[in-house]
Amino acid sequence: MQENLSKLKNKAQWIRSQVLEMIASAGKGHIGGAFSCVDILVTLYYGGVLRFNSSDKDWDKRDRFILSKGHAAATLYAILADFGFFSTCELHNYQKKGCMLGGHPSRKTPGIEADTGSLGHGLGIGAGLALSAKIDKKDFMTVVLLGDGECYEGSVWEAAMFAGHHKLNNLVGIVDKNGLCVNDFIKDCLDIDPLDKKWKAFGWHVVSVNGHSIGELLSVFSDFRSPKSNKPLMIIANTIKGKGVSFMQNQIDWHHSVPKGEELEIARRELKCVFKGNPKIKLLRK
Amino acid sequence: MKNFVEKISEIDIRDAFFDELYMIAKNDPQVIFLTADMGAFSLVRFRNDLRCQYINVGVAEQNMVSIAAGLALGGKIVFIYTIIPFATMRCYEQIKIDLCCMNLPVTIVGVGPGLTYGSDGPTHHATQDIAIMRTLPEITILNPSDSVMAQASARIAYRNPSPIYVRIDKGKLPLIYNETRNDFLEGLSELRYGSDLTIISTGTMTHEALRVAKELDNRSISTAVVDLYRIKPLNIEKLLSIIGKSKRLITLEEHSVTGGIGSLIAEVLNDHQRSIPLKRIAISDQHCFESGNREDLRAFYGLDRSSIIKNILEWI
Repeated sequence: MQENLSKLKNKAQWIRSQVLEMIASAGKGHIGGAFSCVDILVTLYYGGVLRFNSSDKDWDKRDRFILSKGHAAATLYAILADFGFFSTCELHNYQKKGCMLGGHPSRKTPGIEADTGSLGHGLGIGAGLALSAKIDKKDFMTVVLLGDGECYEGSVWEAAMFAGHHKLNNLVGIVDKNGLCVNDFIKDCLDIDPLDKKWKAFGWHVVSVNGHSIGELLSVFSDFRSPKSNKPLMIIANTIKGKGVSFMQNQIDWHHSVPKGEELEIARRELKCVFKGNPKIKLLRK
Repeated sequence: MKNFVEKISEIDIRDAFFDELYMIAKNDPQVIFLTADMGAFSLVRFRNDLRCQYINVGVAEQNMVSIAAGLALGGKIVFIYTIIPFATMRCYEQIKIDLCCMNLPVTIVGVGPGLTYGSDGPTHHATQDIAIMRTLPEITILNPSDSVMAQASARIAYRNPSPIYVRIDKGKLPLIYNETRNDFLEGLSELRYGSDLTIISTGTMTHEALRVAKELDNRSISTAVVDLYRIKPLNIEKLLSIIGKSKRLITLEEHSVTGGIGSLIAEVLNDHQRSIPLKRIAISDQHCFESGNREDLRAFYGLDRSSIIKNILEWI
């Protein structure tokens, strides 16, 4: 277990380094929010939580993951490419002419389940998918990752109310609570706390975790497929925007700035000092 | 000269659509109907008999569209329903991204085109929806003008693999189409022939166009009428073949002059270098805060029959 955890942590750092190179090469991208959700996505994809098949992207039994905070696309692209949903060469062309990997996810890219980028859409789409699974008695799970700034969107709460009422316990929401929106700290813009109580009031089962602790995340997902509650699950993942690179962490300036020159070198050093190369991980299938 | 039938439908145009949809849904459990707390007489049966296929999502139109998208991604054929401003403008971005960008088989059923909800005020007037909806690349827009067409619209929508928007009026309207006719694939039909003038209209205003044409005929102005029941995709070839014979064109619609079918026809004329004089009779660029029924509000905008005729006579 400890060995596996350590590999997952290394994988997370490697994904960050991929994201760094993609954004540096493209000259654009949302690096802060992409870094804050790396450990969450690594847990979902490499930690044996999500069921998927990269050689059959339309596999009926696959779990559906929706990146509602679509601006973190670079993180998801790096993971999908690592699993072979598409060639890793595509990552080099991220956001460049002719490349299918745009700034925000589209279903035209293998492994992407929903077009996102405008905030506040993903949870409703996820609730619809989860409802379709209930109607058809299918056992796939639907997981939606939202940002905390995204929770300002009223449509998030429309979907929250719907999922709570319809007891969609095959739906899992995760808020990447990095405490920052584009121009402000969340607490200074419109304070959304107590966020857990809000979701509870909307009929969700709520768990708060350290969103950078893969161990904590794994334990929350331990009964992922056989929930004891009849409520949808909301995981409030407390994270740090820009996590992994010291000068980006918890800084307003690093929502979508692009590191250049000395900054890029420092970021590379900080991310690459942990390991050498892409860590191999044996997937635990559930 | 005419090729349309003239009798009042025995069925409300909404019921014609929903009764057909009921039969479709009864035979196909994949069909799911969502309403944002909007009812209709004929939906009572749907709700009672097909409980698993009917969900009232509450007055949350943005969510209704996203839920519909999710259901469609899960393999469902989804119909969503409410009053037009809330079915289109309130959730426009969800329609753009969740339905159109992902090109999903979801039908938006909007009730109350134009000034249907006259006395309810500008919040309920649907006078900008064609303008905004026709900019969406993947969408089909149907505007049935009678109960036969409304019934057919339900079948067309069910078979359509992409998003489709159906504007449904209220009430028992005169029948335009023969009840045995059931394809409606051409997108428009020439209901009446005439050599001096062609009126192009859509939905309930097509009935007004027919009455206006009759009066103009009595004044020796030979007037044709075209019912543009599919606004998008426009059958340009057929439209051009019809209007090629016309000396003058009128567009008549209960929709804003900005972006409606008048604009659409003007775009076609321009893009195909046809220089036929065109007059757009539509809702002027102002909201109406005056109370009154649909007829009163049509008069406010100069869309009552005598104003329309006066307007045309002054122009020709």
